[in-house]
Amino acid sequence: MAGDEGGGVNQLAQATVYGLLQGCLFGLVAVGFSLVWGVLNVVNLAHGAFVLGGAYLAWELHDAFGLDPFVSMLPAAVVLFGLGYAIQRWLVNLVVNAPIFITLLLTFGLQLLAVNTLILLFTANYRSIPTGYTGISLVLAGDVRVPLGRLIAAALAIGLTAALVYLTRRTRTGLAILATGMDRGAARLMSIKAAHVYALTFGLAAALAGAAGAAVGAVGTFSPADAGRLTLFSFVAAVLGGLGNMWGALLGGLVLGLVESWGGQLLPGTLVNAVAFAALVIVLAIRPQGLAGRAFYASRLEA
Amino acid sequence: MRTRMFLTVGVVAVLSAAACGSKGEAGGGAADNGTLVIGASLSLTGKLAREGILTREGYDVCQSVVNDKGGVPVAGSRRQLVIRYQDDTSQPDTAGQLVDQFNDKGVKLLLGPYGSATTEAAAAVVERNGQVMADSSGADDAIFAKGYRQTFAVLSPATEYAASMVQAIVDLADPKVRTVAFISADDGFSKTVTRGGIAKAEQLGLTVVGEEYVPNGTTDVSGALTKIKPRRPDVIIGSVHLAEGIAIVKQAKELGVAPSGGFAETVAPPTPDFTQALGATAEGVLGSTQWTPTTAGSDKWFGFAGDYANTFAAKFNGRQPEYHGAEATAACLALVLAVEKAGSTDPVKVRGALAGLDEQTFFGPLKFDSSGQNRTKAMQVVQIQGGKPVCVWPANASEAALRWPATKAAA
Repeated sequence: MAGDEGGGVNQLAQATVYGLLQGCLFGLVAVGFSLVWGVLNVVNLAHGAFVLGGAYLAWELHDAFGLDPFVSMLPAAVVLFGLGYAIQRWLVNLVVNAPIFITLLLTFGLQLLAVNTLILLFTANYRSIPTGYTGISLVLAGDVRVPLGRLIAAALAIGLTAALVYLTRRTRTGLAILATGMDRGAARLMSIKAAHVYALTFGLAAALAGAAGAAVGAVGTFSPADAGRLTLFSFVAAVLGGLGNMWGALLGGLVLGLVESWGGQLLPGTLVNAVAFAALVIVLAIRPQGLAGRAFYASRLEA
Repeated sequence: MRTRMFLTVGVVAVLSAAACGSKGEAGGGAADNGTLVIGASLSLTGKLAREGILTREGYDVCQSVVNDKGGVPVAGSRRQLVIRYQDDTSQPDTAGQLVDQFNDKGVKLLLGPYGSATTEAAAAVVERNGQVMADSSGADDAIFAKGYRQTFAVLSPATEYAASMVQAIVDLADPKVRTVAFISADDGFSKTVTRGGIAKAEQLGLTVVGEEYVPNGTTDVSGALTKIKPRRPDVIIGSVHLAEGIAIVKQAKELGVAPSGGFAETVAPPTPDFTQALGATAEGVLGSTQWTPTTAGSDKWFGFAGDYANTFAAKFNGRQPEYHGAEATAACLALVLAVEKAGSTDPVKVRGALAGLDEQTFFGPLKFDSSGQNRTKAMQVVQIQGGKPVCVWPANASEAALRWPATKAAA
């Protein structure tokens, strides 16, 4: 746009690449949120705090042992799985049959508790995990850069989503999760323990959030104040992509990333958030079940 | 089913917007003979809690130093300084109400809250009640464009934050800088900073090739950087807070945006988090600050800036003061000096003494113009060298020479 040949095209190409990478990261952050909503019908407002839990764990592991944040995704996922399982089994399960407002309030409370605990433990300062490949980029034609850290994060996002799809479609545990989500009564008759399966699902979602947090820590900055923003992104990505399809969150994340990135190029930069929510409103008006989702009850029948 | 989805969306929006907080406890009281009571509404909880507590530390240092030296001399007697705190929970409205509460209890002399938004709210109430406020951290020029007579800011105005860096670059950079681009957060304070920086750049003959605004507090500034990249500025100046400041340096590297001179970012680089988060990438980045331990000037209460740093460190387990603490102490000092000069705690007389104040202090000169701003004091420009911010401008405070170009061009 500044007059040099092809500048505008290169800029748009760069915005597209960056938006897609950012979108994969949004997708990774959102996939657990979407899973819990789709299967348990719980809108987990503490999801962003789980993501931050993973980020701080990765930060501590890097600080203490010099562990690469992408390697730390595994321990972060394990710890968060345990935490998520416990929270669902002994807390959320108590009210999981209550109207959705009760679980909303409960998870909102959990979020406040978690954020303030993080502030006490780690202070409100902004952090970022320094890595050797921070700032290293592959250079494409037209000086379009593909940041290496974000590329790894995007690949892991796609890989983890694929693994989740495999788990829910091809394994006994996954099928039990889906079955319980579809019809708890019938699942019980098949000797599936609903309380255990719900806890397993919530734990799985927390584990994915923890892994996402480690990736966020590797490529971006984070502070306890980001919990709300991360939950909001997850919410938008989950609704955009649609529930009941494990690829939905990734698709929604990609749309969100692209819309923000293109919006940032074509409009004044302060409007990016407005553009993202405008996209959400438009999609909901045209396809209320989301881009890849199924209409509400059907969404509870198959993943 | 669709209704249910929309209902959920609505509830989530309401819950996200619900900012809960409680007001500070009641307390405080009017000045009796042996004491000088000063009120302060501060953000001790909420989103500005970190800076609010740093500000309180500065006020506390002032109180203990003044009292250790016998108290404030008022017309032949000495009064112990007592600062009463109330928590405004980072909400401007609450700050205004607390100022009213102080007034109801007869507390007429006040120290400012943290930040421009809360200070602006407090200043309006101070004006109505005829109280007097020494502002320690509200730098937005908008506060002083309303004709208020009762609020005095010890710190350099917002327009100087970026302008001082522009001046430093023009004075010191070799090879000379010709073009600059601005990336600014979209809050009132940051926009004022950017306007001041652009005016200074144009006045000094630089070409401003970009002016991009990003949402306040964002961690993704890739859009602004992508737009600026083809315009090849020599320097990118960020009018930002910590989050955006870190994002600019980090994402510029990812996107191959390599200004031939370097980066300059107002308040982010002087904070320890900046170098911690960025590691070696932070090297060479310029920043501006209200105060460093090398600031020129001294006073009878705190000595030189270096002495103040030692006093502060002795009180807080060896921790060095950030500029938040120093500017808070300076605001308190301004009130103490004014009360002494007025020989009275009467708000009208103290106000008159503040308006006529012209003192050298550890914080630099304290002298207010007719709007209540301290334009005599210069901002200082720091550069990250060896992982630490060191002062490079102005000459009378600088610790090291400017390293230029600040960043090597990336491949």
